[in-house]
Amino acid sequence: MRKFFPVEELARDERFNKITMKDRQNDPRSVFAADGEGDSKRANFRLTPARRDASDGARGLMHGIFVGEIQALEGAGRTCWDFETETEAPFALKLDMARQCWDEARHVEISVKLSDWMGTEIGQYAENTVLFEAACSTDPVMRLAGVNRALEGLAIDVFTTMKEFGDLAGDPYLEFCEDWMLADEVTHVKMGSDWLRKMTEKDPERRNKALEFQSVVDKLFSYGGTRSDSSESPIGLARRFRELAGFTDEEVESIADVSLQALNERKLAVAKMLGAADSLTAAAAGE
Amino acid sequence: MTITVIPETFSYVSFDADLIRRVTGDLATSLGLEGHPITVEVDETTPLARTRIDITDGIKIRADSGAFEDTRKPRQQSETATATSLGRVLLRARDRLSGGFGEAPPDNELSLAQIAAWETYSIGRLERLGIPVNRQRWLYNFRNRHGFTDAGDGAFDQLWRSEGLTWGELCAISAAAAMAVTPT
Repeated sequence: MRKFFPVEELARDERFNKITMKDRQNDPRSVFAADGEGDSKRANFRLTPARRDASDGARGLMHGIFVGEIQALEGAGRTCWDFETETEAPFALKLDMARQCWDEARHVEISVKLSDWMGTEIGQYAENTVLFEAACSTDPVMRLAGVNRALEGLAIDVFTTMKEFGDLAGDPYLEFCEDWMLADEVTHVKMGSDWLRKMTEKDPERRNKALEFQSVVDKLFSYGGTRSDSSESPIGLARRFRELAGFTDEEVESIADVSLQALNERKLAVAKMLGAADSLTAAAAGE
Repeated sequence: MTITVIPETFSYVSFDADLIRRVTGDLATSLGLEGHPITVEVDETTPLARTRIDITDGIKIRADSGAFEDTRKPRQQSETATATSLGRVLLRARDRLSGGFGEAPPDNELSLAQIAAWETYSIGRLERLGIPVNRQRWLYNFRNRHGFTDAGDGAFDQLWRSEGLTWGELCAISAAAAMAVTPT
């Protein structure tokens, strides 16, 4: 069986349509108005039942969770196989990754059933493969930082948002399922934090490189302001659960800063784009 | 029948104004709205999926690009999504124009439960016109606004199957469903 599987070759049937982060970044549209206001956009975008499009928003996010779980399963599975036992990755680490595969497979099944319950078909939304891309590093420590700490950290934020959504909406299954999956994600992050610390104990340079990589991935996952403390982001930062997962206060603050920075960068880009569009329209009108 | 699509060419998304015109025309004919000039204006700068309608001078529809989008292929148009989104607002326009909905508040003053009830009533009728719809999606939407109860599901079925409701009848079904929610 081949090692280090490229993201382009992930096996999917005809129901799925894969897109990359580049595709997403090339989409010039935005939910944000240039000034954060305006009649056609809204300032509060947090996914709660109070949103007019709440159920469709929840369905879209649930599908995102579903494909994320598939990719997390693929990533953890690759880590079990891609590295030589003991010389590259300790056996106990692989055992943890195998346990994570078991969890992720269960999450995939739960996500399929929840999607069905919410009226979403498998593959109904495009699959962004950025999650698996974070799991393609040739260094297991980088994978722990990118997948277990950044990706699974994002999962903590997403599940917390969905759990609260289910609770507020009175959905008996959504709240229950998200709560159980959230507990697993906290464990996955904790495993990542513990192994990252252990494997870089005598190699601070490697640890710094891994944490730097995690920061890059965290910013990617926050692209366009998807996740931040701001109510303009659909997904909030689950500070308490991150704390339980082993993130230090400084680390949570750093993720909050990076996320807010991603949100503001996107808003600035939109303002520039709309400004450019207005200039073109004015020029065409001969003003 | 006069149908105007704005813009005629799209730059943010790969939409086809002729397709929008054709779908609008087919729906208008099926719904008996041929006598009304219709304008469909698409805001292609946002991926949101909202639709708004103004019937004071002809029928003016303003849709965010997400309303016509293929969720599998971002920025591409879906004929089914286009028909579903336009059908929902055109049915709402027909309800308001044909009587029985005179006392309905303006769209921006409708409660979330009223919106969900009216959507259910509209989507049920669209399904009978032959437009493919995912019933479970709309049931989930209705449950989010009326509670996850058997009474709520019964109300959903009633609205879905109905034809020729008045605003008062629609509100009564919605209110009865919402009352069945027991605090947990």
